[in-house]
Amino acid sequence: MDRFPGFNVLDQVGHWDPVTAGVVLSRIGRLPDIRFFTPAEEAVATALCDRLLGQDGDQKIPVVPQIDARLAEQQTDGWRYADMPEDGQAWRDSLRFLDEDSQGDFAQASVADQRAVIQAVQDLGAKDWHGLNAAHVWSLWTRYACTAFYAHPAVWNEIGFPGPAYPRGYKHPGVDAREPFEVADTSPSDDPVARKER
Amino acid sequence: MTSVRERNESAWLLPNDGSRTNHRLRDDMRRFADSDTVDLVVVGCGAGGSTLIQRLARQGWRVLGLDAGPFWDPDADWVSDEAGSHHLYWTEPRVISGSDPVPMGSNNSGRGVGGSMVHYAGYTPRFHPSDFATWTTDGVGADWPISYEDLRPYYEDIEQELPVAGEDWPWGDPHTYPQRPHPVGGNGEIFLRGAYKSGITAKVGPVAISNGRFGNRPHCIYRGFCLQGCKVNAKASPLITHIPDALAHGAEIRANAMVTGIGFDEHTGRATGVHYIRRGVPRFQRAAAVAVAGYSIETPRLLLNSASRRFPDGMCNDFDQVGRYLMVQGAPQTAGRFDAEVRMYKSPPPEVSSEQFYETDPAKPYKRGFSLQTVSPLPITWAEHVAAQGHWGAKLRQYMSDYVHWSCLGALCEFLAQPENRVTLAEEKDRYGLPVANFAYSQCDNDKQLTRAAQHVMEQILHGAGADEVITIDRYAHLVGGARMAADERHGVVDRNCRSFAVPNLYITDGSVLPTQGSANPALTIMAVAARAAAHLEGNTHG
Repeated sequence: MDRFPGFNVLDQVGHWDPVTAGVVLSRIGRLPDIRFFTPAEEAVATALCDRLLGQDGDQKIPVVPQIDARLAEQQTDGWRYADMPEDGQAWRDSLRFLDEDSQGDFAQASVADQRAVIQAVQDLGAKDWHGLNAAHVWSLWTRYACTAFYAHPAVWNEIGFPGPAYPRGYKHPGVDAREPFEVADTSPSDDPVARKER
Repeated sequence: MTSVRERNESAWLLPNDGSRTNHRLRDDMRRFADSDTVDLVVVGCGAGGSTLIQRLARQGWRVLGLDAGPFWDPDADWVSDEAGSHHLYWTEPRVISGSDPVPMGSNNSGRGVGGSMVHYAGYTPRFHPSDFATWTTDGVGADWPISYEDLRPYYEDIEQELPVAGEDWPWGDPHTYPQRPHPVGGNGEIFLRGAYKSGITAKVGPVAISNGRFGNRPHCIYRGFCLQGCKVNAKASPLITHIPDALAHGAEIRANAMVTGIGFDEHTGRATGVHYIRRGVPRFQRAAAVAVAGYSIETPRLLLNSASRRFPDGMCNDFDQVGRYLMVQGAPQTAGRFDAEVRMYKSPPPEVSSEQFYETDPAKPYKRGFSLQTVSPLPITWAEHVAAQGHWGAKLRQYMSDYVHWSCLGALCEFLAQPENRVTLAEEKDRYGLPVANFAYSQCDNDKQLTRAAQHVMEQILHGAGADEVITIDRYAHLVGGARMAADERHGVVDRNCRSFAVPNLYITDGSVLPTQGSANPALTIMAVAARAAAHLEGNTHG
């Protein structure tokens, strides 16, 4: 799925301000130690996030340590649904329910079985899942997982996004205009929705 | 621009050496003691609070502004990165409820000096004259106790101070802007092209981003991270547009000070100052007058948490008005897919807007309307759009890899003020031991019709520009109301000059006093209302 061959966000790190560079480079450095999740929860969370983010091969961007750090520091989005516990508890509860839906061990289930269990939660829409609103659980999982994943420079390479832009800024805005360091998409007509599906 | 500098020297008090903060001005700031009775203590240093502080400091008042968050330094504290900007948002616990709960945090809630304008996009449209009398003209919402004409001179003043860039504005009360419109990027190009094809008028602006040098503030560099705090000092927020001038005129800004209650004298019936906690120590600042400017969630919460014998249900809450009529705009965002590369991250998200659908259209079944604007989500926010379509796993990744091909428009729909959309106190407490806010929100039928109408027009524009696929995410934007101004105490919390009906030396000068919201981003109006309140306090109203 390499649509932007040769594009490497980190090639430009010399053009970033030092505060931003510090924040972004910390994501490719030593990962924070797990403090919030128990080992069992960590295993379920890792499998869940890998499935949600389509990380089914060997090359994986870790996201659970970042989620764990946010929960340990109570770094929430600044709100919770009235019918949900605080985010940390909601994560613990929902990971336990995934185990319950997988004969007690979600992490050890096959990838296909994990996907089926996750799909069943999504298919509930706003209906009840182990006493929680399934849509609110889905929102919790995807918000935390996507925030950690799409903050990683290796993932920016995959989507053609150059990341930080200070103090350099952009000189070539506009449709089909590129900076010298941006790489053109090799499959511009590769619409994610296949024509036949529309 | 000399007249602006004579009124507000902020832009000239910033450094011109490439750094963004005048540390000397902050180090030399006047400092009051808790035991000093300052003329005015202001709770919250965002759009409303900072404007009030600057105006009254200029008049020689002894003014102190408290803010729960930091006194930001754009160089050291802000990053050109989405996830790294989490600390810009108010993320203390809050509960959301109702049939259509409204997410808070990055969506609408700031913290620290500069408030939500640190992370707003930068759009600064005026309200339309009709917004001030929707009850009379449309039978919905409420009438303000002031008219557009009362606010106009303050709009003009603030537009010069920010300053605002944009084309001549044909809608509402037609007016011009002090700066020329910015050049547009890919997303703005798509909007303009699609609007033209659809016979819709769209204009570039109005944005409070300096187009050219303004004082010592440099030109915008089009880096696209407006919502993460402007490291350039090009985008206006009170941190750079009003606070420097306030400091130069003897105001104190006390950051990291969480106000927990308003002091009240049962005998005189007057406010005496504010209780606050700083570095863990509970303190009390004496003041001759108090202005609350904590925005639509924290302002009602503070009043409700300030109960006394006189006010058993919360300060100023004799008629159960505190926290009510809180509004958010319906803000569906519709994105279109193009084979061309749009790379919408490469310009400020605020570029082009249309207010063609702002007013009530007698041919439609709904009242009031919506505005349309470019929005340019960065990858994490864009992932929310894609995930909202139900995509996950490989499909999510595939969709996301297509990011550079998408253009995204947003609407602001005038959702109507309703009494049950309100802040109450939850059972849960925050780290200071204070009950947190529970914000209940439910849409009415008119709201839902507006959302679908706006989505339809955005789809039309994107298809007109050549999009082969469109997706929409329903969301909300902005907050106003919760302690509205009204003609009398049975219908609101403050009078036309932002003075509370119940306590003669207590003012509310933030977005919570707005009785209606129109389809305009509220920052400019909040500043104009605060500037007008300041003029009243000075005994010196315009016109």
